[in-house]
Amino acid sequence: MRTLPARYQPSGPTVHGGMSSVAFCMDKVLERPVAVKFLQATTHRRRMDDELAALLKMRSKHVVQIYDLCKFSDNYIGIIQEFIDGKDLFESFAPPNGIDGYYRQLWQIASGISDIHAVDVIHRDIKPNNVKIDPEGVIKIFDFGLARDAGPAAATVGFVGTPGFAAPELYATAAKFTSAIDVYAFGATSLFMATGDLTPELKAIPPAPLPTGYFGAIRIPTGKNGTALSAEVVRLLDACLAKNPNDRPAITEVRDALARHLLFDRHQALVVFRGSPSYLNAANRAIALRFGTVGSVDIAYDGLKFAVTAASGEVYINNRPVATGYQLPGCCVVALGSPARRNNERVFITFDVSHPEIVV
Amino acid sequence: MSGPHGAGDVIDGRYEIRSDVGEGGMQFVYAAHDKLIGRMVALKTPKNKSATKRFKRSAIVAAKVNHPNVAKTLDYVRDGTNRYLIEELIEGSDLQDALLHRSGCLDPYSAAKVFHHLAKGVAAAHHAGVVHRDLKPTNVMVVGGYSLNEIKITDFGIAKMANEELIEAAEGGTSTMTTSQTAVGALPYMAPEAIETPRAVGSAADVWSVGAMMFHLLSGAPPFGTGLAAVRRILDGTPPPTPAFLTANPQFASLAKELMDVALQCLQKNPDDRPMADEIVTLCGMLCYSIEPRAEGVIRRIDYGAYGFIETEGPDVFFHTSSVYGPRLVQVGANVIFASYDGGGARRAHPVVVVDAPQA
Repeated sequence: MRTLPARYQPSGPTVHGGMSSVAFCMDKVLERPVAVKFLQATTHRRRMDDELAALLKMRSKHVVQIYDLCKFSDNYIGIIQEFIDGKDLFESFAPPNGIDGYYRQLWQIASGISDIHAVDVIHRDIKPNNVKIDPEGVIKIFDFGLARDAGPAAATVGFVGTPGFAAPELYATAAKFTSAIDVYAFGATSLFMATGDLTPELKAIPPAPLPTGYFGAIRIPTGKNGTALSAEVVRLLDACLAKNPNDRPAITEVRDALARHLLFDRHQALVVFRGSPSYLNAANRAIALRFGTVGSVDIAYDGLKFAVTAASGEVYINNRPVATGYQLPGCCVVALGSPARRNNERVFITFDVSHPEIVV
Repeated sequence: MSGPHGAGDVIDGRYEIRSDVGEGGMQFVYAAHDKLIGRMVALKTPKNKSATKRFKRSAIVAAKVNHPNVAKTLDYVRDGTNRYLIEELIEGSDLQDALLHRSGCLDPYSAAKVFHHLAKGVAAAHHAGVVHRDLKPTNVMVVGGYSLNEIKITDFGIAKMANEELIEAAEGGTSTMTTSQTAVGALPYMAPEAIETPRAVGSAADVWSVGAMMFHLLSGAPPFGTGLAAVRRILDGTPPPTPAFLTANPQFASLAKELMDVALQCLQKNPDDRPMADEIVTLCGMLCYSIEPRAEGVIRRIDYGAYGFIETEGPDVFFHTSSVYGPRLVQVGANVIFASYDGGGARRAHPVVVVDAPQA
């Protein structure tokens, strides 16, 4: 029936879940542990195969790697996956390591979900129990709800997802769902990661809407008072839990916002004027550039971007006249004096914006 | 196609050879289609049949390292008397072919990115108790060319085999050193202890190699030269002089100096004086560098030696000659690699690196 190839030697008991079971094995050929997930092919076998094919081709730092497949005669398949030596985020819950640690975790989860959605797959069961941190600190999503179905069959194959993390639309009798269920589950996971619990509203069956601006009241423990989330992150995380799937943001939008806020106050602009460098950063946020009566411009850093806060006379950035509010485009040249003037009647200041790279 | 296989050969009933993706000193490398899973993989087989036992060991060693900056080991199979390592297929080329071959050096932003990712991969290996022993540009794979979309270290296990040959070469003295193909390629990046006491080489030797590669990326040449003369200089322990162009331009000086300082720390003769890979990761994590994608073009014109335009596949891109990094003179007709930013009339390039024309 279901005999694994001899290279995979069971190293512990098989864990049974709703629609699948997982066996931990040692791959004797490569001498490394693997997790084997047994899955019953359902009435939607073809869709399951399509999704599996998509996952196999997907390359994501944040999704467990599939090494091998076995097919069994009883219509079960075995997915041989990389074994992540670490606890899942539910078992190992600890208050976030500052706002940075919190954003970093959420950003990695959002990156993994983005990679999954990019190959047109819906995970269906995002929750802290299905996310692990590997020994290198890389967050990995596992346990796809491949066998769980939408549509009329949902009632017979059981509930899709996990109460508390399942979007409201999944409780409908003929549940039709989209990738927005993963976004909802991400929102609930984010809430859990901040507080170690879900709210009564989320635990209700079906879930009730959260109070407006819920994430705005969350404080991530740092020092004595804790830190509030940035307004943009609050808005997006609140929207992830919107009742109407259409009101939820795309996960890529959430990922990109988290990446920006991870770099909050960590940008730097190198300003070179007549060969001498100076820096604009969190410690030195504003600079005023003046050239006689020809032109002057003030540029300030707000923690996320560098922008013109005042300009008068002839001010050009990368050859474009600018006014207050103009956001500097990465590396650029600020010219005081219009292009109509001769070069010796203008001054040029290079302005190079960079930031640390987030590498997992 | 070189080596034992041609397109259409099927290994172990599963891996169908599609093309030849080059050969290393120790092995043939093919792109193959995994018919069971339906994805492309890299298939490696040793050149030297007597090395098969060590090849198996090397696969096991490589399989221990699991990190986004290290090529993933998927499988190991034997088919008849042949042995094969199956690895994730990295759709790119090695650091030598992808970058150094045409440019000699990289701008400090790109170099910082390579440094950061290399250090991450090496640190993950060291955490798993694995020492590469043969880090050099041809063992680093790059996806996306100068845009550096992905950077992955490969041939972790193979290094152990290569190491045997290196030990033989090192113990055979300088005459074998220069006739062993493996040794010649590795030599400019080999730590002094790998030459002097090749059997007692630890993780600090990898750090040395990373430092040597960084030195090469920043300055355009390996720190101690190549060939026989390099051996004497490596063992001598005198820090190599750094070219003046690194710090001649205030737009690049600060980052170039920071990077070179770390590279020189890695190149200290005494292994105990070198930083750990983790420390390099921490240092790189604080550096500010831009990670904009790179494009290629040809210098169309230069006015007053101060600025000009780059001809590209799209509209021309404006540049200042002060944005050019490296020892090569920028002149009309030169091929250049650059990042570009929004600008009025034309985008503006920064940084710009002169490269050889692509080979037809």
